[in-house]
Amino acid sequence: MFQETNILVVDDEQVMRDGCKRILSKRGWRVTLARDGQQGLDGLKNNHFDIILLDLMMPGLSGMEVLKEVKRIDPEVLIIVITGYATVESAVEAMKIGAYDFISKPFSPDQLTIVVNRALEKKRLEQEAELLRREREKSLQDIAMEKSKIRTIVNCMAGGVIVTDRESQIVLNNPAAARMLGIHDTHLAGRPLSQCIKDEVLNQLIGEIFTCRYSEPSILSRELVIGESHITHLRAHAGPVRSDEGEILGAVIVLEDISYLKELDRMKSNLVAMVSHELRAPLAAIEQQLMVVRDGFAGEVTEKQWHILERIKERSDGLMAMIKNLLDLSKIETGQTVHKKELINLNDLLRKVLDLFSSQATVKKITLRLEEGRNIPLVEADQSTMEVVFNNLLSNGLQYTSEGGSIELKTSVEGDYVKIDVSDTGIGIDPEDLPKIFDRFYRVRSEKTRHVVGAGLGLAVTKAIIEAHAGSIEVTSEVDKGTTFSVLLPKQVE
Amino acid sequence: MAKILLVDDDPDFCEATKIILESKSYEVSIAYDGIEGWEKVKADRPDLIVLDVMMPKKDGYEMCKELKADQEYADIPVLLLTAVAENVPTTRYTTRMGMEIEAEDYIDKPVEPRELVKRIEVILSK
Repeated sequence: MFQETNILVVDDEQVMRDGCKRILSKRGWRVTLARDGQQGLDGLKNNHFDIILLDLMMPGLSGMEVLKEVKRIDPEVLIIVITGYATVESAVEAMKIGAYDFISKPFSPDQLTIVVNRALEKKRLEQEAELLRREREKSLQDIAMEKSKIRTIVNCMAGGVIVTDRESQIVLNNPAAARMLGIHDTHLAGRPLSQCIKDEVLNQLIGEIFTCRYSEPSILSRELVIGESHITHLRAHAGPVRSDEGEILGAVIVLEDISYLKELDRMKSNLVAMVSHELRAPLAAIEQQLMVVRDGFAGEVTEKQWHILERIKERSDGLMAMIKNLLDLSKIETGQTVHKKELINLNDLLRKVLDLFSSQATVKKITLRLEEGRNIPLVEADQSTMEVVFNNLLSNGLQYTSEGGSIELKTSVEGDYVKIDVSDTGIGIDPEDLPKIFDRFYRVRSEKTRHVVGAGLGLAVTKAIIEAHAGSIEVTSEVDKGTTFSVLLPKQVE
Repeated sequence: MAKILLVDDDPDFCEATKIILESKSYEVSIAYDGIEGWEKVKADRPDLIVLDVMMPKKDGYEMCKELKADQEYADIPVLLLTAVAENVPTTRYTTRMGMEIEAEDYIDKPVEPRELVKRIEVILSK
């Protein structure tokens, strides 16, 4: 369009036609002539014109009609109407229909040139504006298509990279991403993200990135499980892709293969479970039979025999405790305290825990009670290790409280935390022992606690789990009155 | 007197436990794994099932889950036995497959004869 300007002159007067041609050609513009409206329209069918000079007063197809028709065929053409002697009304009317400008007869060559130049200037500005707009709106697709050094680097990365536009359509990916997702085709551009990563939550979270739910640049992470027969564990990190002005253009997702780590984890916990069973099962059978004989179920037992059997039982109890110690210790050391975080209702969890201990409590004639706080917010935590925490605390409570006593669990809100109190009316803890109570292997050694068999790791494991959840645990106690353990866990972030 | 089915893969443990329970006049039958356990449940409906968790072929979790899912047998109380003590409370609610199982009670192995008898009495009295 910048190359050659094409002007069409439609006028029934030959003098006008020739005159215009002469004037405008001098400028180097290409001029085509038409003697009436129909010829003009015919010319439009085969050629493109930048400007049309249109006489309004013509026989046959009137100027107005031609104007309307031209606007319909090619809305981009700038039309300058030539009006009759001193008639402004028709000019105004023409401009209302879409003419750009008018020139009234008679006019000088300069006047004609000025009007046409003005129209051409407008066209030029329009084109420049369009170009700038396109440049600004350059889609991620275009960027992705650019062959650049960054592209080469991304393609060589071992980690999977996927870039999507605001509609979650993939615009760019590297071969590693396709491989990790188990897709044979290395080019995923054009596909919707949800077709390649079938994780609803991840897709939803990425959608939220686009609606600016996150006000600061943030990266979210999510574990994915890919495949059915051959399972791959991936960790996906996603974040927004922004233009220089800060506008969100799309999202970038980086994929990390954590299958090896998962396998290691699984093997570790399998080993622990296996060792646990292989060592304890025979010992359990030994002790069971021992007790049967000791308690006279297999025939009368003399006092001497009873003593010896009782001592054998104590030694094997010691062995059991040692095995338990070692397993607990290995758990703390391998950091098996937080596995999978989900939103938990603590009242529900505590109700279950209480229920679990109800028969034991009934046998020991201890009352269990749960005071459920109202409007207790959800807590983000690992369900199974949280259960270990409260099982430990409740089990301790039962151990150290005598018949007729009671244990109360209470939930409440304290600032940004949910507070859970486990209070018993038991033997209490001596002020000397209190600061060490959470230490590993610490056992309170007194007359009252001699009967308790344990490793001294329960509270250490409990504390480790709570701290891994960014919480805290405290204890208050009064000897012979009772003990209260207070657990604080952070509320779920809104 | 009540019929108790004891399901545990350790024959020595079974023998010892049977002696304890029979001393209280309970009628005790034994199965060594979950499959045999089911056969005995169907053949002669027990009033209580003492179920060991770690067994070959079909373990205690699976059998308990199946029992509770079966309308005909769901109301038979189940006492879970385990030698993996500290995991039991959590595993009462989450099997390796992450499902809930509703046993009535659990006890660590080995269990003091008196304690075992008391717990069983409590369960059966409900």
